[in-house]
Amino acid sequence: MRRETSSAAPQVGESSPVTVAAVEKVFESCYDFESRELLIGGVPGRTARLCFIDGLVSGSDVAEQVIKPLTDPERFGGCRGAGDVIAMLLGGSVYVYTAKSRTQLGDLAGDLLNGFCALIFDAERTAVTFEVKSQQRRSVEAPKEEKVVKGAKDAFVETMKINTTLVRRKLRNPHLKIKEYSLGTRADTAATLIYIEGFTNEGIVAEAERRLSNINVEGALTSAAIEENIVDNPRSPFPQVITTERSDKFCMNILEGRVGILVDGLPLGFLAPGTFSQFMKVPEDHSGHFIVASCLTLLRYLAVALTLLAPAFYVAVAMYHQEMIPTRLMQSMIEAKQQVPFPTAAEAIMMLLAFELLQEAGIRLPSPIGETVSIIGALIVGQSAVEASVVSPVVVVVIALAGIAGYTMPNLDMGSALRLCRFLLVLAAIALGMFGVALGCALLVYHLSSLESYGVPYMSPFAGSEGRHVSRALFRHSMTDKKDREPELKTGSGGEAKL
Amino acid sequence: MKRAVFLSLAVCLALTGCSSGLTIFSNYRRLEMIELVRTVTVDTAEDGVNVSICGTAGEKQEARMYQNTGPSIGVAMNELTLMPLGRQAILSHTESMLIGEDAAKTRLDEVLDYVERFSEMRLDTGLFIVRDGTALDLVSGVAGKETPAADVVAGLTESLPKVGEGYVFSCREIAASLSENGCALIQCVRGEKEEKLFENRGDMNIKPAGFAVMLPDSTAGYLTEEETLGAMLILGKYESHNLDVPVEDAVLTVSVDLVKPKIRPVFSDSGELERIRLELELQSNLVSMDGLADLRDEKLRRKVEEKLSELMGGALEKVLERERTLGLDFLDLEGICERREPIKMEDMPQRWEDIFTALPVDVSVKSVLMRTYDIIDPPEISGKEEGSPWEKLTESLRGS
Repeated sequence: MRRETSSAAPQVGESSPVTVAAVEKVFESCYDFESRELLIGGVPGRTARLCFIDGLVSGSDVAEQVIKPLTDPERFGGCRGAGDVIAMLLGGSVYVYTAKSRTQLGDLAGDLLNGFCALIFDAERTAVTFEVKSQQRRSVEAPKEEKVVKGAKDAFVETMKINTTLVRRKLRNPHLKIKEYSLGTRADTAATLIYIEGFTNEGIVAEAERRLSNINVEGALTSAAIEENIVDNPRSPFPQVITTERSDKFCMNILEGRVGILVDGLPLGFLAPGTFSQFMKVPEDHSGHFIVASCLTLLRYLAVALTLLAPAFYVAVAMYHQEMIPTRLMQSMIEAKQQVPFPTAAEAIMMLLAFELLQEAGIRLPSPIGETVSIIGALIVGQSAVEASVVSPVVVVVIALAGIAGYTMPNLDMGSALRLCRFLLVLAAIALGMFGVALGCALLVYHLSSLESYGVPYMSPFAGSEGRHVSRALFRHSMTDKKDREPELKTGSGGEAKL
Repeated sequence: MKRAVFLSLAVCLALTGCSSGLTIFSNYRRLEMIELVRTVTVDTAEDGVNVSICGTAGEKQEARMYQNTGPSIGVAMNELTLMPLGRQAILSHTESMLIGEDAAKTRLDEVLDYVERFSEMRLDTGLFIVRDGTALDLVSGVAGKETPAADVVAGLTESLPKVGEGYVFSCREIAASLSENGCALIQCVRGEKEEKLFENRGDMNIKPAGFAVMLPDSTAGYLTEEETLGAMLILGKYESHNLDVPVEDAVLTVSVDLVKPKIRPVFSDSGELERIRLELELQSNLVSMDGLADLRDEKLRRKVEEKLSELMGGALEKVLERERTLGLDFLDLEGICERREPIKMEDMPQRWEDIFTALPVDVSVKSVLMRTYDIIDPPEISGKEEGSPWEKLTESLRGS
């Protein structure tokens, strides 16, 4: 593995010589920075300064694996000078599996921030660093957002090492490459690029490497900081990389020829390229029967149409195209509208806003209160509003139907993008009726078709591959005859990505 | 390029009927201000035409009728759309149009023209001719306090083919038939005053009165009940009806449920149209039996089937005879033959108009009695006592 730095020069002088004073200057006003003098081999006058960041290292490991052997007179008592000590330390005289010699301040500071302790020999302007990372980390748990009944229950955690281990355990292949990167000019967050060499399209790998290396943010602490820097079109509300907290989904996509990105501190994996059809699939599809999975996939596409178009279609029809409404429904709609003081457009906008407010309140509040708010809100908006003749029941039904359909989206970002488009389509319907809806849909299709993710058309296979692989997007083929991958993800001339 | 696209979209926008401010004209209507029209009547008046619309302002609202007289349907209708209470009548949900007998004779083409041209009207609106009275009287007589006339008419439209008493042709079908055949069939109804069966209904009941054979500007004639049934069979508009078939000591009520008409033109070697072969296959089921008959007896069963074929064949013969008498191809036999043998019909040396009144039509009806629900051991009913005819019959069946 190699470590590449995407950032500009770090705050500490990278090439400055290693001295205790320089290190203490760097970590000045850092209350968790600890340093102490050690007598090497218990010999008076032969000292070295032990430095570490409290909390990042394991105290017992430092004491047992570094301090104890280092102060042992039998082990280090016979050393003639600091040079011998350094040689012995690097030769394995302490019980730590990783030991590095550092002569530059930048390297030393990086090690300290990554859970190493450092033994600084001031006169030699050299430090030896030992990896004694703290084991205080969240254990692997079942996924919370992407729940599954028949499937693996190990979700990613905030610690990248654990996440890469989860991937390694599932993909025991020496060709699985995990390249390390450092992201953020100030936070210096570790990230890894994961792919299978010789299997993943070289163009996609090269493009992912280039984008990771070019990330220029202060700190890659949020998923947006990564996503917006590695997607083709960050202005589009539609997600262009797949995010997942599930290690099995991550590995399945790696096996389909995608590249994966894991970032330290984020319990998420990023997968590229992301296409529209991929956001319609859930890992559960690969656990259940393929016919059932295919039907559910089709249902999700229907849900996309419903959540996008139902409110806009209703507004257009109720305002401009009443002849399209069946007679009985029209009669009850007219009846219900008699007591409602607001026009149809205002009703629809009000209900959409109320729905969004309820949703936001439910998400932001703590779980038990959030649920209560949702229930009370639903009752108020749904029933009381109708009884009070603030809105007509049909609007409530239409908006609720669209909202429920939106909840079936496997990807939260895709759901949010569709919600945004739903609003815009309703506004278009209010202004221009069915023409507005058609115009909005045309613009939406135009936008989606113009998107690319790492050289792969976003609407692939519906667009860009002459529609030959549409069935692969709509149906889950049986595992016994699943030999095809998306052509754009394959290596070789046939599937070269257009970058 | 972007500017061109923008401009073309802006032009399209101006041509749409949407939006109240941005476009040349607007389709915007407030839902709560709509009066939904479901029935329209047209009658003759002294100074032109009398038009009425029957609409509601909601499901639970009472149906209201508005009428107006004008020199033409368009003018009368235009004033009607500006209804009292400031409501806007929309005609897009009109399910049926009823025309008085007199208006049908003189203004049928005008009615059809109005429906075809006025974009709000639907071409699949059902058309009726009201016999022995005006359409307005019938609709206002039929409508009750909570039952709009449209519901009564819609019920009739649904049930007519199921009882073999007619079929409501849409304006599109009628206009097409007038254009292609020069004549068209239109369902007739008549109003009959009777005691109120239901509290919510009016004091008049609407009854089917067979088909009328219409020309664009006059009435050619009215078909009898039997002829109407025959026309329905040939045109494939028949769904089902019950028929009494007398055999031996019993009268069987049979439901004729499945009819497959086959019409084939027969040509001579020289390509001349010689005759038309009309084959009808019927499938029927026993509904009830008045009297006693052992329908497991093959001979009796065949007798029933023959009788059934005779009855249905009679209806066919009569309507075909009527077509010849009137000299009008209202059954669209030419169209049926053309669809069956397009090339031969195109190449035949005769003209259809010259030959069809003398063209022999071979009618053959094949009927099958499917289910008889034969019961050997009936439940406790009167007549089961020892020595009764029923007992004798069941005993003989057991013996056989």
